[in-house]
Amino acid sequence: MVFPVTSTGSALKRPVADARTRGRLRLGLVATLAAAIVAALGASPLGALGQADLLPNERAFAFSARGLDERTVEARFVIADGYYLYREKLKFALAPGTLGPVALPPGKVKEDEFFGKVETYRNQLVVRLPLGQAATGQAVTVSAESQGCADIGVCYPPQIQKVTVELPAAGGRPGPIVDASPAKNSLFK
Amino acid sequence: MTLRRIVLLGAFALTGLAALAGGLYYGRQAFMPGQGQAAGDAAALLAVSLPDLGGTNQPLGQWKGKLLIVNFWATWCAPCREEMPEFVNAQREFGPRGLQFVGIAVDEADKVRPFAADIGLNYPALLGGYGAIELSKTLGNRVGALPFTVIVDRAGRIVYTQLGPMKKERLDDFIRQLL
Repeated sequence: MVFPVTSTGSALKRPVADARTRGRLRLGLVATLAAAIVAALGASPLGALGQADLLPNERAFAFSARGLDERTVEARFVIADGYYLYREKLKFALAPGTLGPVALPPGKVKEDEFFGKVETYRNQLVVRLPLGQAATGQAVTVSAESQGCADIGVCYPPQIQKVTVELPAAGGRPGPIVDASPAKNSLFK
Repeated sequence: MTLRRIVLLGAFALTGLAALAGGLYYGRQAFMPGQGQAAGDAAALLAVSLPDLGGTNQPLGQWKGKLLIVNFWATWCAPCREEMPEFVNAQREFGPRGLQFVGIAVDEADKVRPFAADIGLNYPALLGGYGAIELSKTLGNRVGALPFTVIVDRAGRIVYTQLGPMKKERLDDFIRQLL
């Protein structure tokens, strides 16, 4: 560092770089850092980076249900961000009793090279499962088969998740939500 | 060139080198077998025997000594289907030099056959059913999803596992390195 002597005789400290150079240096560092991050991400395949982040099947497509009224079970899928379920692969069953017609909401239409038009669900799916007859106070086991994939480029095998719920009385409050795979370490369970 | 400029250039160069080193290190990490994997030796995998599309049991051990790339897939898995034509190309090009792809389909024969015909599949398609998912879990496929690829070198060591589609560049690198 050079300390120029001004005409008044006092030593002035010169900055390492003037404002413009400092700005350029900052930009350069940011650009290099950004490039490094991109390079690192590019260098690592799904095997190194993504596998650690991929959820188990039952967490990616978390199933729960509750007794909605004396003859309806409300089934729910909470689908993690970046994952989706196939409408065509959804199957529900109830035991004991018979399952009435199930109205599935329309999904997002996607063109699949092999299967043609498919419909998918994201975020949340709520489905009412009507029983053949009222079953107040009874325990009913709901079984839900589903199949889904992750945007990152993997697909999971079909899975069946089951919960047992109790149906409330006619006019009564819906029963509590029962999770197929309760989260461990949850404070509220 | 002023001292200031040299310092700045030096800073840029160092950052660039650090970035490159970081990227390379990260990339090297990726070449390690996946988490939870049966360490190194492919003996357990090569001991497996599965039926082909004709119903004949095929022991994986018959391909020991090849650069063996075992790909777990299914027709119901779009990303699996999408990467297979690339595997067909690689098999055609490098098969004579000792590359051997083997597909383990978590699937039914009558679904696999038309797809195999469609893409001109030139390597064995073995039928694994959902038990094959369990097999892949022992090889490091923690979540049991597809596609899942295992590379066994000519010495019979598992050198790499990958969950998700295999990039062509990466495949080419492995073939170049290990064949």
